[in-house]
Amino acid sequence: MGASTSRRHFLGLAALGAASLTFGCSKKPGSNETATTAEEASGVVPTFKDSTLVAPDIKGIRPVADGYAKYPTTLADAISEKAITSGKPVSVTTPWWGPAPPADNKLVAAVNADLGGTVNFSVQDGVTYGDKLNTMLGARDVPDLLCIPGWEINKLARFNDAVHVLFEELTPYLAGDKASAYPMLAGLDTKSWADSVWGGKLMAIPFPSDNPFPTMLFYRKDVADERGVAAPTTLDEVYQFGKKMTNEAKGEWAFGDIFLEVQQICGAGGSQNGWIKGADGKVIHRYETPEFARAVEFMARVYKEKLIHPDLASSNGADVKTLFKGGKIFMFSDGGGAWKEVWRPAVASDPKFNIQAVKAFGADAGKPPVRWGGTPSILWTFVKKGLGADRTAELLRVLNYTAAPFGTKEWELQNYGVEGTHFTRDSSGAPVTNDLYNKEFANQFIFTGGRPAVVVGGPDIPTYAADFVGWGNDATQYLEKNPWEGIKVEVPTEQAAIEQPTADKVTDIQRGRRPVSELTKVVQDWRDGGGEKAREYYAKVLADNGR
Amino acid sequence: MSTTTAVEAATPAASKAPAKRLSVATRLRRDWPLLLMCVPAMALLLVFHYLPALGNIIAFQDYNPYAGDGPWSAFLYSEWIGFGNFQYLFENPAFWDSVRNTLAITAFQLVFYFPIPIALAILLNSILSPRIRSLVQSVVYLPHFFSWVLVVSLFQMMLGGAGLIAQTARSGGFSVPDVMTDPDTFIFLITSEAVWKDAGWGMIVFLAALAAIDTSLYEAAAADGAGRWRRLWHITLPGLRPVIILLLILRLGDALNVGFEQFVLQREAVGRDAAEVLDTYVYYQGIKTQMWGVGAAAGLFKAVVGLLLIIGANKLAHRFGEQGIYSKS
Repeated sequence: MGASTSRRHFLGLAALGAASLTFGCSKKPGSNETATTAEEASGVVPTFKDSTLVAPDIKGIRPVADGYAKYPTTLADAISEKAITSGKPVSVTTPWWGPAPPADNKLVAAVNADLGGTVNFSVQDGVTYGDKLNTMLGARDVPDLLCIPGWEINKLARFNDAVHVLFEELTPYLAGDKASAYPMLAGLDTKSWADSVWGGKLMAIPFPSDNPFPTMLFYRKDVADERGVAAPTTLDEVYQFGKKMTNEAKGEWAFGDIFLEVQQICGAGGSQNGWIKGADGKVIHRYETPEFARAVEFMARVYKEKLIHPDLASSNGADVKTLFKGGKIFMFSDGGGAWKEVWRPAVASDPKFNIQAVKAFGADAGKPPVRWGGTPSILWTFVKKGLGADRTAELLRVLNYTAAPFGTKEWELQNYGVEGTHFTRDSSGAPVTNDLYNKEFANQFIFTGGRPAVVVGGPDIPTYAADFVGWGNDATQYLEKNPWEGIKVEVPTEQAAIEQPTADKVTDIQRGRRPVSELTKVVQDWRDGGGEKAREYYAKVLADNGR
Repeated sequence: MSTTTAVEAATPAASKAPAKRLSVATRLRRDWPLLLMCVPAMALLLVFHYLPALGNIIAFQDYNPYAGDGPWSAFLYSEWIGFGNFQYLFENPAFWDSVRNTLAITAFQLVFYFPIPIALAILLNSILSPRIRSLVQSVVYLPHFFSWVLVVSLFQMMLGGAGLIAQTARSGGFSVPDVMTDPDTFIFLITSEAVWKDAGWGMIVFLAALAAIDTSLYEAAAADGAGRWRRLWHITLPGLRPVIILLLILRLGDALNVGFEQFVLQREAVGRDAAEVLDTYVYYQGIKTQMWGVGAAAGLFKAVVGLLLIIGANKLAHRFGEQGIYSKS
């Protein structure tokens, strides 16, 4: 920062009053969007070295991870030396969708002891995590290790600037064979590493996802079977399901919010932030398709006939999972992570409780759905910039530890805690967790860094792994091909700014506050308000990459 | 801040200009303990109000928090765009929608919310048993300490589609309208929520003002044969008038401030058209999209309008012979 530059900026301040008093000559705000191809990534990602220890029982069709119905009887001790050697505490911020864990935490203390130091967690509410990130990044005040979910990155404007200002470049530590110093990190798959490259530099540790699907349609199989209601296989059957399962007098409604699922059932694509490359090569947005219109129309009907729980219709604060666990609703859509999250605590109080994902289906018999695809990793962990080579290496050793795969003692300790304190073993040797575990476990070390993805249930939910992988293997055939795959596209400010007003209007139509016929006008407003500009941008990104 | 001004207003005689001006040194020697006592409050004001106010410069920038070498130099290195942020705002119909909603809610609450604490205070003041009085007072002002999340959930559990009233009605074979999701009656809903939560709290200032009214006035009036209503009209209300005018002016200055959480929580339920207010607009269009400059511009706009309204209302109050926020010297 030279003196002349400073002075120029100071002069800019002084000239402000004089120069730009008129509106006419002023520039409008907004960031300059960039897109980074992953082609240049090949040189900076670690060389893959398989770290899998246990052969899977249930093979997943990639990108669906493998499942394990049986827990391994012998566990490997993957890392013998202590990761933390400086004695300095490590600060980590992670999200969690549940009650905050206690600060005095035996599970964290046990892992810390194994790491040889102290990891201090700041566990933040996952629902409002984006707001925290916004201010944290804006103030340039980040912890040693910061977990950022992929869907939040999409919403963070200027993240391509932020990433280089705030976080350490990991290329010098991990590129190619250098990763052999961190064997567990070298076991993460190459696609998810390539997805962790910003501006040609390796910037983060990926968290490989166990499935590529942003949402699944869950239902209460036990209740539906008991009442003789079959899982839907067409859009009309979804409606029939709603009719049969709703009983207002008993305080029961069929649905939580199912809009995202209905869009996919109707066949509205747009994995890349809503964008699709049409058959004619033209770039269009999901909003502009008849499939989307059909989905909106269907939702308007569902709301009108009051098939969605009124609490969910009347407040942002209502908790869909609590209603589902409590038997107040019977079908909702959520990410794959919700499956286990709901099932485990629910089956503890009601052994018959059975949550299943509805087998993927299209709106009409014989018409396939479009399943949106996600990125190879769902979260990233970033290392704070400027901590020095020694400290960075130490933090990478911590991340190497958290990357220990299924079948290691490290994996068990991070996932289940201490035997006798947090869990006991059943006859097959599988961990059975207790109340202390439920209180203390908040995915702390799981979200600190990624590990090879596996699908693992437990004795309480013995069919989970097979159910999950089975559903994913079937749904993979409908996975949308994303032409932008592998390119890091920053969402243009114009599109980001018009997104909320448009979503609000679409919600209005669903709730019956605007007529369905107004959708065409809403979409036109969206085009004029920034959608058209965003289209040009997304088309240009494709052209620039020769796709 | 409002309490100090309220006290000043309540003791107008003391602030009449002193007969002779003393030198600064003499006054310093005399007043230093008082000044010392003010220091913590001044420091608080400086650190949490005046320093952050400097950040308003980003209203004239395309602020990029990642420019320069640190958070401070980001201010220097962000591009100056003059009134670009304001232009963006003023050309955006959604902004004006939110301003219109905010003003409508303020106007509505001025009529249907503002008088309630006054009435409540007068009613409570007429209760003679100190025990019942303090019990009622505690009960009505306790909800002030509940968060909006709690208040909205409570209303939903009572009035929502799956709430107590709706379920009871259903079991009796009736159906009641779902007021929690009706955009047309939303303004009544939020006002009732606000009354339930804050009316008791707002009452405290008026209770203090009521206590300051000379009881001998009531005795004299009663001796002259004045009934309950006459005493209310000729003694109680005139006694409260300076406080009422003062709070009214301050409320006007806050005209573009109607709260945030209450609206964020219920926004989906009734839609943006009914529930978007300035603060939620700033949140969704400034902070969520990280257009910090636009957010700051909206905040500055709000502050300037508020200031103009305060000054205007104060002038008006002076013209009608009231004290307003400060007495005219």
